[in-house]
Amino acid sequence: MAVPFDVSIGPGGPGPDDGPPVTTKDIVGRSLGQIAWTRLRRDKVAMGGGIVVLFLILVAIIGPHVVQNPDAYNPSLINPTFLRPNGAFGGISLAHPLGVEPETGRDLLARIVVGAQYSLLIAFLSTVLAVSIGTFFGVIAGYVGGWVDSLIARAMDVFLAFPLLVFALALVGVIPSSAFGLSGNSLRIAVLIFVIGFFNWPYMGRIIRGQTLSLREREFVDAARSLGARGPYILFRELLPNLVAPILVYSTLLIPTNILFEAALDYLGVGLYVPTPTWGQMLASAVQNGYYYIDPEFMLVPGLTIFITVLAFNLFGDGLRDALDPRTR
Amino acid sequence: MATMAVSLVAAVGIAACSSSGSSSSGTSSGSASVTYNEGTTSVVNPSNQKGGTLTFALSSTPDSFDPGNTYYAWVLDFDNLFTMPLFTYKSCPGTCGAQVVPDLATDLGTTSDNGLTWTFHIQPDVKFENGTVVTSQDVKYAIERTYDRSVLANGPTYYQVLLADPSYPGPFKDRAKNLMGLSSVQTPNATTIVFHLVAPFPDLPYVLAFPNTAPVLPSADTGTNYQLHPLSTGPYKFQSYQLNKQLTLVPNTEWNPATDPNAKQLPSKIVVDMNVNQADVDNRLLAGDIDIDAQGTGVAAAAQARILSSSSLKANADDPFTGRAWFAYLNTKVAPLTNLHCREAIEYAVNKQTVQTAWGGPVAGGSIASTLDVPVIAGYKSFDLYNALSQPAGDVAAAKQQLQLCGQPNGFSTNLAYRSDRPKETAAATAIQASLAQVGIKVTLKGFPSGSYYTDFAGSPAYVHSHDLGIDMGGWSADWPNGFGFLDELVNGNTIAPTGNTNISELNDPVINNLFTKSNTLTGAARTAIWSQIDMQLMKDAAVLPMVYARSLDYRSPDVTNAYIWDQFGMYNYAVLGVKS
Repeated sequence: MAVPFDVSIGPGGPGPDDGPPVTTKDIVGRSLGQIAWTRLRRDKVAMGGGIVVLFLILVAIIGPHVVQNPDAYNPSLINPTFLRPNGAFGGISLAHPLGVEPETGRDLLARIVVGAQYSLLIAFLSTVLAVSIGTFFGVIAGYVGGWVDSLIARAMDVFLAFPLLVFALALVGVIPSSAFGLSGNSLRIAVLIFVIGFFNWPYMGRIIRGQTLSLREREFVDAARSLGARGPYILFRELLPNLVAPILVYSTLLIPTNILFEAALDYLGVGLYVPTPTWGQMLASAVQNGYYYIDPEFMLVPGLTIFITVLAFNLFGDGLRDALDPRTR
Repeated sequence: MATMAVSLVAAVGIAACSSSGSSSSGTSSGSASVTYNEGTTSVVNPSNQKGGTLTFALSSTPDSFDPGNTYYAWVLDFDNLFTMPLFTYKSCPGTCGAQVVPDLATDLGTTSDNGLTWTFHIQPDVKFENGTVVTSQDVKYAIERTYDRSVLANGPTYYQVLLADPSYPGPFKDRAKNLMGLSSVQTPNATTIVFHLVAPFPDLPYVLAFPNTAPVLPSADTGTNYQLHPLSTGPYKFQSYQLNKQLTLVPNTEWNPATDPNAKQLPSKIVVDMNVNQADVDNRLLAGDIDIDAQGTGVAAAAQARILSSSSLKANADDPFTGRAWFAYLNTKVAPLTNLHCREAIEYAVNKQTVQTAWGGPVAGGSIASTLDVPVIAGYKSFDLYNALSQPAGDVAAAKQQLQLCGQPNGFSTNLAYRSDRPKETAAATAIQASLAQVGIKVTLKGFPSGSYYTDFAGSPAYVHSHDLGIDMGGWSADWPNGFGFLDELVNGNTIAPTGNTNISELNDPVINNLFTKSNTLTGAARTAIWSQIDMQLMKDAAVLPMVYARSLDYRSPDVTNAYIWDQFGMYNYAVLGVKS
């Protein structure tokens, strides 16, 4: 999947009739939203992606309370010699619409749905973390400039060059079984959110810095400055509202990368603890235990789930960017 | 011996010990009809035909080809191709292969001084590959060098426990002063070697069946580099060895078959490819490109499905016991498992079928176990105290009754320690958790790295107590096939150690301890009868939850001759194989 961070976003600044900053922002913001919404609605692909995303979120929130116990074994559904589910297509039946896991007979639908909860939770929160840090440093670097800019830009370079996967593997390896008042899975979730979020902020930071650089030279910022507005006011009341669009778009595009990253960490065995179902772990067990040969359907289910989720987020994010970008008008 | 146990368990699911072999010598070169499991009871394709190249491959690497520096089961087996230790196991299929027999030695030795002194004689006409005649000093030197753990870190450590000078530094540090520095081993002449023990130990010949008693010529010893070309006394010698990549063996012209009836010299070349992807090993094996998977731990799931669903492939496969037991310790010092009935509830409640499936099912995983001792060990008796065999899905009613007696009618909470980098052990832990949940016993899984599992976590009673690790996964295979070799480290009260502990149940039952003490004063059948009594008592104590007697599905290429499972290792006897040309 592509996350085209280098594509610039139209500033979407205030219209030509700049009045007092506060009211102008309100009016313009609303009309921009309306325009974007109209454009987004016309984009069938993006809307499709959006509906899938919405559905996934609903599934992640409600699903785990509806499906059967994802950890319950069903040995009667497994062929003991070959360890694969009885019946065609991984043991699909009315009771197990996606089939069952080889070896254990655990319901795949339940594991996928509960896995969605963990995947999305970690992806969303790590995105929030990355976006918060990235926006904060990006705005400061772009607005203040000078040595502060250089310092932050170099820091971002360092983070971008960092072998993130190796670091994540090492970090999860040395984390004790309990820390910061957390233990077990909640600690792992916190660590994953931190690792994924903290090392993804420079992407966001670079985009925001670029936007800020171009925005700070605009007339409305000059106007505010000449009226005596100070740094924080300009940062938070003048610049930040104009950065909402890129933040929104890139958050949407960052979520699928984070979903993939979480799945990769799970796959490598540094994700959540067993028997917590996660998509990455399901893929890993399909590959490592050789299930792909005796029961290919078992590999297909988590694989397709990850594929559809990432595609939906990307399509929606792309559509959102088109809708918010004035140049494509 | 605690160190021994740790390295044994660290051997990634494989371990055992010893050497050499030979087999029937029929001349029928017929590919007539081989059958499934034939190699577990008889010699498959017996032949004395010479020539051809025998090819092994495996997915891992040896710990070392230095005979003094190995504990991996397949290497202990493989070493018989180029070493002659004092003792070995008889080269024959079935339970016959669990007998210890003289190899370099001429007989099983004589004891005196109330069992404290053992005297052995060695064959006078055995030669190294360079033509030098082997003397008892070379055997003594081989034993001495295992004392230096900074050079030879992997092998067993029985000598330090059994012999009188435990702190001998080894010849590499001792060399300047006196080469023959180990005072508890003496060599009155070139064919005699005498051992002085600190306590009587009837199993000494088993200890001397490790390849670390194979003679080493002091002038040829290159320390850590000796593994690149150990000086051969067996039927084959090293031609070339790219470390952990490829080994080529060629016949040793100085080897005399009359001195070594346990091995054969049939192929004109033996090649071992290491570090090959397991799926690749299996595919090449089934395609006939290689002859034997040297690791001997069975094919992976994909190849297993192919083999079992094709009658022609299946005829070339064997499904032996590996000699390994998979079980869970139930810690007798962690509440509420301090109460016998709470432990018995676990014994009854666990669904042995789902656990068996987690280990790989009845073919590749193993048979459901109802005892700690495994069937290939002499003295094994089957019994079923907790209905593991009669009700393999778990006896929920009996479990609930035990929970009542234990005073926890609604179940309790405890933690389960397992090695999270082992997929099958993880699956088994999960299966135990799922089945105990059905009677209200809430189990929290605690995963640990296998490298430090015995040193820092499950093997540290202090850690176990402070983290309430009531159930601890474990696996074991004996260093030699009798009850002492199998059970002593697991349940003898005097083996509880502050680190590297292998009696993780912390079972200190005077009945069991006394039986062990008594066993060292007995011999023969009277001694063998003790082992099942100990097994019965530890099951009555519910100190261990047996899971499976491990099996592996091994494939022998139809081109291989003289193939059979060597009981002591649960894998093919590598020293007698030939190929059809």
